[in-house]
Amino acid sequence: MKVQFSATEALDVAIAANVDATFSTVEEHPELGDRVVPADLRDWLARLRLLESVPFNYLVPDAELLPLESIRFFYLDRVWTDALVQGALSVGTVASADRAQLESVYPYVRDEVDEEERLIRLPLLNEDSEGAPEPTPQAPGGVVSGFLLRSRAVSGWPGLHVRAYREELAEGDDAQIPESDPRRVRLIRLERLAPAVLLGLFDGVPKVVHVEEPRQGIQFGVELRAVAGQPGVYESLLRLRDVLTAEELPCPPNDPFCAQSTVNVPFRQGSPGVLDMTELNKRMIANAGAHMGQDVDSAEFAMQVLQFPYRQVFGDPNQGTDIADVFRPSIALTTLKVHYENVLDVG
Amino acid sequence: MPEPGTFVLYSSVRPPLHAGDYVLRGTQEVAGGPVEPYAGNVRITAPRYTMPPDQVLSTFPPANAEGSFSSRLPQIVLRRRTLPWERDAGAGGTAATPWLALVVIAEGEGQLSGETPVGQCVTPGVTLTGPGDVASSVYLAVTKTVVDAVFPTKDDLPLLAHVREVDVNDTELIQGDDDGWLAVVLANRLPQEGKRYLACLINVEGQLPVLPVPKPPGQWTADIFDSKVVVQDFRGTSKTLDADSYVMGNVKTTQQIGGLGIAQDLTAQATTDAPKASAAKQIGAATTAQDWQATPRKIEDIAVSATAEDAYRVVRDGMGIGFRIPIEGIAAEPTYRFPVLAHWSFTCTGAGDFQSLMMNLDVGLLGTLPKEPPAPPPGAPPPPPRTRPLPEVAETGHVGLQHLTRRGDPAVAWFRGPLSPQVTERQQPDKDGRLPVAHVSDQIRRIVPDGREDLTYAAAFEIGRLLALAQPSVVAALLLWRADQFGAERAHRVVGTISDDLGIFKDVLDGRPTGAALGSLFAKQLLITAGAATGKVFGPSRPVADPGRPLSFIEGDVDRAAALGLGLDLGALTEAARQVGIVGALGATAVPVASLDRQEPVVEGPDVDHLRGALEASAALLAADVTKRGARSVAAGGRPDRLDVLLGLITEVES
Repeated sequence: MKVQFSATEALDVAIAANVDATFSTVEEHPELGDRVVPADLRDWLARLRLLESVPFNYLVPDAELLPLESIRFFYLDRVWTDALVQGALSVGTVASADRAQLESVYPYVRDEVDEEERLIRLPLLNEDSEGAPEPTPQAPGGVVSGFLLRSRAVSGWPGLHVRAYREELAEGDDAQIPESDPRRVRLIRLERLAPAVLLGLFDGVPKVVHVEEPRQGIQFGVELRAVAGQPGVYESLLRLRDVLTAEELPCPPNDPFCAQSTVNVPFRQGSPGVLDMTELNKRMIANAGAHMGQDVDSAEFAMQVLQFPYRQVFGDPNQGTDIADVFRPSIALTTLKVHYENVLDVG
Repeated sequence: MPEPGTFVLYSSVRPPLHAGDYVLRGTQEVAGGPVEPYAGNVRITAPRYTMPPDQVLSTFPPANAEGSFSSRLPQIVLRRRTLPWERDAGAGGTAATPWLALVVIAEGEGQLSGETPVGQCVTPGVTLTGPGDVASSVYLAVTKTVVDAVFPTKDDLPLLAHVREVDVNDTELIQGDDDGWLAVVLANRLPQEGKRYLACLINVEGQLPVLPVPKPPGQWTADIFDSKVVVQDFRGTSKTLDADSYVMGNVKTTQQIGGLGIAQDLTAQATTDAPKASAAKQIGAATTAQDWQATPRKIEDIAVSATAEDAYRVVRDGMGIGFRIPIEGIAAEPTYRFPVLAHWSFTCTGAGDFQSLMMNLDVGLLGTLPKEPPAPPPGAPPPPPRTRPLPEVAETGHVGLQHLTRRGDPAVAWFRGPLSPQVTERQQPDKDGRLPVAHVSDQIRRIVPDGREDLTYAAAFEIGRLLALAQPSVVAALLLWRADQFGAERAHRVVGTISDDLGIFKDVLDGRPTGAALGSLFAKQLLITAGAATGKVFGPSRPVADPGRPLSFIEGDVDRAAALGLGLDLGALTEAARQVGIVGALGATAVPVASLDRQEPVVEGPDVDHLRGALEASAALLAADVTKRGARSVAAGGRPDRLDVLLGLITEVES
């Protein structure tokens, strides 16, 4: 059996194959269906899309943009991350044929990485949640937003809980919302980039973001307040609880440490930080609202100094508007679009 | 079990008996005579000098942690609810007084010993009677000043230990055989910012009188927490020993303090040399600041470099760095020793709790510049000038950065990271489903209307390329994948071009395999096609079984042959077969058998010799098969026909 096949024919076929290829499935993903890009490559590109291993000065080009003790919200620039992926894909494209190949396969890469990037954090979420695993998100990638938090709270409290919600929670800011709540905006990345810098990326644009103190253990402590004009000197307050109901004694909302429900915590003279518990007990007993009785026992003492995890809620203080409106830029988007059309319209 | 999300506090859970040796006595009165009284020895055990690691559930602050712990009381959570009350605290205590206390010691205030026999782990003069749990442990040595300033009073002790019952289902901390009951021991001291601490769970058994006694409130109570006050600091008087020399027992070292080279022999110098010590203290303060910086790193290094078996001990030991000053040799006042059941170190880096930190955050979209610091009050010195100017930030989030063009001209270019204050529009595929792809970064450099270059996306492209190049495995995966995809496509089209001659591969290619799988699929398809027409490909095939050789003696009448072979009467057999069939006839006919009681031989004459010869030959042949040597000797015997004795016999019978 002999087949005649000339070089011209071979070249024609090769060019046609580069320009107008039908791609083979390399993997049948159980949920996403057939995939053209191999799994390990997809995973790496998705992680790149989520800015893993991108140097920090590319994320924040000037330190003043993320000052000490600040949180900065942002949208992820998908054009930027697309350029990042294109740069990675450009490796090894030497000849025109390579580039033609890349051009024809790129739409597949983009779509598949769009879906893959939402799965990077998924396994962990599924393990955490009880009951049925969450459905795998399958829509093409939408807007990704996020925040950068630079604070001593990040270094001092490793393991912060971050949750985001699509809408204001009717239950109030202190409510316990289950993981599976449909209003929750999924986190697609949450990572400490430096000891004091936390990066979070959301799969969508949340209206409310909760940052909560780690719940690993209940803590005991007091409220310290710096004494004006004396650096390093603090006075210490303790808002009492009614030991019969475990409720905090009432205080107006704008003054959480009002005088009638708070005791000034005494210290031992000459011993920085050491509580004078004898005197503290006297002061606590003196407050009738706490129902401490004649004596203080250790359970009562523990209840008074209990500190529950604190939850900081970021959102609109005036409910009902979009979180983006709160930080509205001074120039309208349409104006900017005209100005920077060239910038935005790459290629 | 409490409700989910709630817990119950108890002031104490006391066991009916303290740990120790008891004698259980029993007497019985039985009619008919005296009964020997029963005396059984009972020992109730409890930890005394060392806390078993499985009894410690958690600590706060976490071991070796660094953070703003100023407003939190350190605590240790123990798994057994009765632990703090399992021993009698001794004279001066009540039933509610726990024998455990958590004390927090700053660097320079105390000494943590190495492994010491338990008899020496308590202040000399105090003996703890009753059985101990281990032979050696560590102790904390502190001066009377520190005890008076830092240790809880006797009346504080019961308040600092409580029991908590939690909902086990609600937390991952408690698993396995835990019942949700925990004992918690609190410290009475808030950490000061900028200090490293050692938290020690100590045994105060028998030493309650040593603890501080409250003075009248006027001399005892202060309403402020002055974090600059120092209780006592021995660090200036000696340089702490490093873990190695401590573990090796090399305590006698000549000290070099600061840059002055003041030499001190620790063991030789029993009393403090006041002028020298104060000079050294000032120098020591500067050097210890560096030590603090390095300490957590040191412990990490220790943890990494230790072998797996030693890690636990070595890391524990490393946490004691900074608490190795031999205080008992230096201090000019009474010192006390307390057995340490568990210890860990942590560093308090600042004041402020989580809530105040979070509430004071500067919130904004990225691109928001920090707020101007508030104007100083009149009379105060003006704030220091900025060391560098504020960046130039556009409303789009772009930042003007110094840029050196390829020609070497300095310029300012715009750059924005991937984090933008606005939603950006992504390119959408055109009507053919194609997307523009940049192949080099220069393709996405832009000049914006103000005449400057915008390098945002070019920089993104370039860093993506460099990140891919930094990982050879990614480069390899990219190249392999493209070669696969396009190799398969080319093969598909080549085969399509060369008509039906190779149509057998059409099924393979329609399955759209990748390039790597293509070769093996082609091979498999070739084999399948070849297997379907073996005659054409490989020639005629051999039958599964060959027919045997023809047996000449059964040609003709089978009945006759059978009757002859079995020595039956053919005539009688045929007669019987007519009525019952040949099988029935054979079944009914008895086979003549040579019986033992017959005197005369069955076969006579030359046939006997012939048969005997044949039998011997067969036996010899069988023997030859078993032993190859025998076969040769038989062959040497000159019998040419030893191929098939049976065949030979048959042939002879036939003839």
